[in-house]
Amino acid sequence: MAEKQSLRVVVPLEQLSAFSLLLQQGIWLQAQIGCSVASLLTEQFNIEEKYIVERVTTLFLDFKPIDDLETTYVMDGSTLALSSAMPGLVGTTMRRGSHLAAMRGDISYQNQQQVVSGAGRIKIKLFNMVMTELGATFLAHGVCLTNGELDTLLSEMDDSFWQSIEAASVDDQQIDSASLVNRVRSAIRDEEILLKVEFTS
Amino acid sequence: MDKILRINMSAAGGPTQSTEKAGEFAALGGRATTSTIVGKEVPPDCHPLSAENKLVIAPGMLSGTAAAISGRISVGCKSPLTGGIKESNAGGQAAQVLARLGYAAIIIEGIPEGDDLYKIHINKDRVEISVDNSNKLLDNYPLIDKLIKEYGDKVAYMSIGSAGERLMPSASIACTDPELRPTRHCGRGGVGAVMGSKKIKVIILDDAGCKNRPPQDAEKFKAANRVFVEGIRKHPVSGEGLPAYGTNVLTNVLNEAGGYPTNNFKTGQFEGGTKISGESLAELEISRGGKATHGCHRGCVIQCSGIYNDKDGKYLTKQPEYETVWSHGGHCGISDLDTIAILDYWDDNVGVDTIEMGVAIGVAMDGGLLEFGDGEGAIRLLQDEVAKGTPLGRILGGGAGMTGKAFGVTRVPVVKNQALPAYDPRTVQGIGVTYATSTQGADHTAGYAVATNILKVGGDVDPLKPEGQIELSRNLQIATASIDSTGLCLFIAFPILDQPETFQAMLDLLGGFYGIEMTGDDVVALGQKVLTLERKFNKGAGFGPEDDRLPRFFQTEKLPPHNLTFGVTDEELDQLYNWD
Repeated sequence: MAEKQSLRVVVPLEQLSAFSLLLQQGIWLQAQIGCSVASLLTEQFNIEEKYIVERVTTLFLDFKPIDDLETTYVMDGSTLALSSAMPGLVGTTMRRGSHLAAMRGDISYQNQQQVVSGAGRIKIKLFNMVMTELGATFLAHGVCLTNGELDTLLSEMDDSFWQSIEAASVDDQQIDSASLVNRVRSAIRDEEILLKVEFTS
Repeated sequence: MDKILRINMSAAGGPTQSTEKAGEFAALGGRATTSTIVGKEVPPDCHPLSAENKLVIAPGMLSGTAAAISGRISVGCKSPLTGGIKESNAGGQAAQVLARLGYAAIIIEGIPEGDDLYKIHINKDRVEISVDNSNKLLDNYPLIDKLIKEYGDKVAYMSIGSAGERLMPSASIACTDPELRPTRHCGRGGVGAVMGSKKIKVIILDDAGCKNRPPQDAEKFKAANRVFVEGIRKHPVSGEGLPAYGTNVLTNVLNEAGGYPTNNFKTGQFEGGTKISGESLAELEISRGGKATHGCHRGCVIQCSGIYNDKDGKYLTKQPEYETVWSHGGHCGISDLDTIAILDYWDDNVGVDTIEMGVAIGVAMDGGLLEFGDGEGAIRLLQDEVAKGTPLGRILGGGAGMTGKAFGVTRVPVVKNQALPAYDPRTVQGIGVTYATSTQGADHTAGYAVATNILKVGGDVDPLKPEGQIELSRNLQIATASIDSTGLCLFIAFPILDQPETFQAMLDLLGGFYGIEMTGDDVVALGQKVLTLERKFNKGAGFGPEDDRLPRFFQTEKLPPHNLTFGVTDEELDQLYNWD
């Protein structure tokens, strides 16, 4: 199977908010699946364990709150949502290992019976403080999306985004903003592309 | 707070006033005060809009002091919406000002003859009750603009809009914020209709010449306040999440959990959720020159509110809360923040409970009045029907229950006729227990995430035991009833939940102010006392175990994506109040 095209864009960190809706809705990432959530985050995305323990206190795998990151495994096609601590009774209830976990016991993630390892893809959703703190990490990893989805994303970017682009390339060939848009628009809409966004501080 | 102001609107020759010693209420506050007075003085079987009902307004135990985040004010009465006892509280400036004026409570009783509309002006020297018919049917924003010209901008206002004058069971009482906008509402249960029934349009509270209430043990109080503030600021919820995104930070998380009631509780996930999330809301506010971080009263260190400007950068409304974004958003299939903000403005202006109104509109959509997602139609209902008091507007203003009956809807999400808030009880079964059994009707704040683990209310509960649902809800309701009496914002729950030193600081604040030693047991005892009083009132009003139930559809209709029904049995629900 041919490698998908890769688009690299470099923008200042203040442009992270331009990707806010995308990060909340979820981004598809290539990853080794069949590992624990803890292993996925620390080993594949290099997120410090301390950060996960202290900041990522609310997690959902396939819409179910997770209590134990070591014994919960990600599968091909899984959706993993990461959030910091939430307010409200229900927000507290959803926390990892909450003392009120029984109140949402019917939806809590239960350990899988079978785990298959290998290359696959997962959808990561980022919310609130975690989005601002980890968004750049996941976007730099490379997001799988179709040309149609990329066209929609780029069409929603405002002037400040386009003016702030420091570098852009397709398969390591430099490209200017206008050509980039034309290239995405003229591409086969259902064909996938790998979008890597790098942020400079 | 050594005195109580009693106003008799029925007196021959016009309203009269008297001041009495606060007595047992001098060291009480908020919900404990309102529920005790209503329990003692209001016949439980009276009509809520009759002269026999009383409106009780009470600041919290720490209001009017230098204690951080102590600005909640409670309003109590027999509810025209539920028919049971009601305590509804709000932020804004009123609690601090009323407490500095020295009042533990204002009790308003009776109904005047005739059609005159009154205003009450309270300052340190006198209480003036006067007729002002020029305020008739003014909504809250124009009313406050008018009053500022008369009374200035150094006072606090508590007012009703046209919904309160029209005695709608969803009518609220607005409290002005630091910018004198009528944005903070005692919303639930129709307390605004009770104020309207007594022909009182507005209470003007002026604390010029008054000082903060002095603590008994100044050193202990000051030290405790410092630790308390530090604890609030360092906690990720109260120090980061709420200030950055407001309460609407919950939308994404509830949606992800499949517990976000959508299209009148048909599904647990809303496709447009990310468009109306707290994250999207904050970005939009900032981009338009508004604020994503703003306090609803002076002395707030969390600042979970904000300022929402329109597309032209002009003030439209305060930052809509999570419950508002849900009730007018996902519940009605609406995913446009500007539409939700306009609806929020109209809720505040007309003076209706944002949860009750949003849920009523969604129920009406389910009954075929509008399509789900029809934002313009929803605005039209509020602006042209409710605000003008048309027959349709009065049905909607009657709440979700009345609207369901008018449109023949069988899926009506109410308990004790009060609309459910933004958490589906099929996904989070424990909150369903609180909705069902609360003395207040369906209420997400009745059993808040207060530190029952630290309080050990009722002993240790194994959080992983499924049978713990009843016990957890019971303990949370007891602890919350107690916090509701302090005047402290419920959002202190998070730092005191996770940080024992912050919990101790809260006890020391109370102890330092009143010169006593407070323990967790005292907090529990107060909460139980309040709930016992409220329960007794409701029994007298005709409530029985059959009223402590969720609507049947929660047991029969599975909620996607988890396809769950509410599984707590009636027998289990009946065990919640195991001490009275």
